[in-house]
Amino acid sequence: MIKMKQMTSRERVLNALAGKPVDRTPVANPTSVATVELMDLVGAPFPKACRDPELAARLASTGYTELGFDSISPYFSIIQESSALGCEMQWEDKDNWPTVRMYNPIWKDSNDIKIPHDFLKHGEVKAITESIKMIRGEFGDEVAIIGKTMGPWTLAYHVFGVEKFLLGTVDNPEETFKALEKLNEISILFGQAQIDAGVDVLTFPDHATGDLVSGEYYQRFLQDIHTDIVDKLPVPLILHICGRTIDRMPFIAQTGMAAFHFDSKNDPQEAMDAVNGGITLVGNINNPETLYARTPNEVKQEVFKCLDAGVQMIAPECAIPLATKIQNLIAIPEAVKEWTASKSAD
Amino acid sequence: MPVVNDLLEKQLAYVSNPKEQTHIRALWKNADPLMQEISVNLIHGKNEEVSKLTENALAQGFSANTILDDGLIAGMAIVGVKFRDNLIFVPEVLVAARAMKAGMFHIEPILSESGVEPLGTIIMGTVKGDLHDIGKNLCIMMLRGSGFNVIDLGVDTSSEEFIEAIEDNEDCVVGMSALLTTTMPNMGKAIQAFEEVELRDTVKVMVGGAPLTQEFADDMGADGYGKDAISCVDLAKSFFSVKKTEY
Repeated sequence: MIKMKQMTSRERVLNALAGKPVDRTPVANPTSVATVELMDLVGAPFPKACRDPELAARLASTGYTELGFDSISPYFSIIQESSALGCEMQWEDKDNWPTVRMYNPIWKDSNDIKIPHDFLKHGEVKAITESIKMIRGEFGDEVAIIGKTMGPWTLAYHVFGVEKFLLGTVDNPEETFKALEKLNEISILFGQAQIDAGVDVLTFPDHATGDLVSGEYYQRFLQDIHTDIVDKLPVPLILHICGRTIDRMPFIAQTGMAAFHFDSKNDPQEAMDAVNGGITLVGNINNPETLYARTPNEVKQEVFKCLDAGVQMIAPECAIPLATKIQNLIAIPEAVKEWTASKSAD
Repeated sequence: MPVVNDLLEKQLAYVSNPKEQTHIRALWKNADPLMQEISVNLIHGKNEEVSKLTENALAQGFSANTILDDGLIAGMAIVGVKFRDNLIFVPEVLVAARAMKAGMFHIEPILSESGVEPLGTIIMGTVKGDLHDIGKNLCIMMLRGSGFNVIDLGVDTSSEEFIEAIEDNEDCVVGMSALLTTTMPNMGKAIQAFEEVELRDTVKVMVGGAPLTQEFADDMGADGYGKDAISCVDLAKSFFSVKKTEY
């Protein structure tokens, strides 16, 4: 690694996403790093922190101020768009994520898809856009602000129900394409609103995971949509898909997305080989076994493995369990700094 | 009777493990061609055909148990192998499951009336905070098809709901499912709750779900981990000391 002038966190993240040199590998959170400990620390508990912009900003900022990550992401769940569309919510308490009751879907097919005229004024949507403005106001350009707009595949799970939507992909693929195109308008609308509010980057979760569908499915149903959205949302996009994804990484690498946020089910080196330099990789520290249940030292070993493989941005694989210990999260940037120092000394 | 259906023969070619191939092929060793046709249509997810063929089979005098074992469950065995080996994914499994349900619609009432004792009672639920149920439902379908009595607690199941069900069902097995890495730790919390009310020693706990591993299941204190619906059935059988499938 070339010795460089120290960068701000924002510069570090944006450079890594653009494939440019960095002073050290950035640590980001494309998905939530909120924990119960952090909620208590700043008095911003779930579910209020998912609905109130001030609390959302306060809780999200801890990712930078307390954990030492290079980004702030003021979202903690996957419910904002679906709540604004009228899906039934389960708000839960401090120790559980709010979630969409997908077993009570709101729509039957693509003809039902209608974006409410007041979508961007809905409470959960505004909680995100307003909190972005607050964070930008407080931190200026020192840290990268990451927003999130759900992709059409995930929205389809929410509005149609997972089982019905997946059955539809076999029974009537043309209808699936229609639904995805219409739902993509929602992704663009919310993404643009966050760009207008001041985000530097958008996470684009679209859960066409290998635990549910094949790589061929990704190519057939989503690759073009994901390629298209790169032009529609003019900030670096981080595609997030959980689970096994090696088989679709070569397709993902062709979309033009800035980065892919990948799961610990995929070996870092194998993932790097699969994308072959076509896209920046972000990941992939294991949540349930390592971050939740192991020691800071074990977390560091996993970070070193990612860095040795050449992963360009380090992050937990997905939203972390709420009972994860802060010390395990702090170990991630610590490990990156230790690794960087050891390489500089070489 | 050997496999005589060409389409079924093609499906068997997907079973690459020779021991497994022998075992699965044997599922049709006494099966009438009509049962083989039911299996093929189930594998291809043709629910209307499976429904019609099941009705025909009943009309021709085949017993409900024969249709279940030689037609539906035998077909699902190949679906399970293809899913495990990543040759097919959830949409394809769902259409096969829908076809199985279409057949079960005709034979389930007959099986219920026959008064056969279930192999055991399984309490199934997706853990607290998790609303995903596809995997759990597939397991339930296979468990019921294999002769178990299943009590489905649904999704977002609290420790208290599991405990209440355990107390109501002596000698049961508990199956917990989670799809999210964020909700997986709730399995451990539920098992801890069983310990706190001194029920842990009375019940076997099996866990499953896409993000789970054997290591995680061990860490959480579960008695068994099922990678897919077929291993879920095998685990349940092992807990009740019923002969399970060995490859």
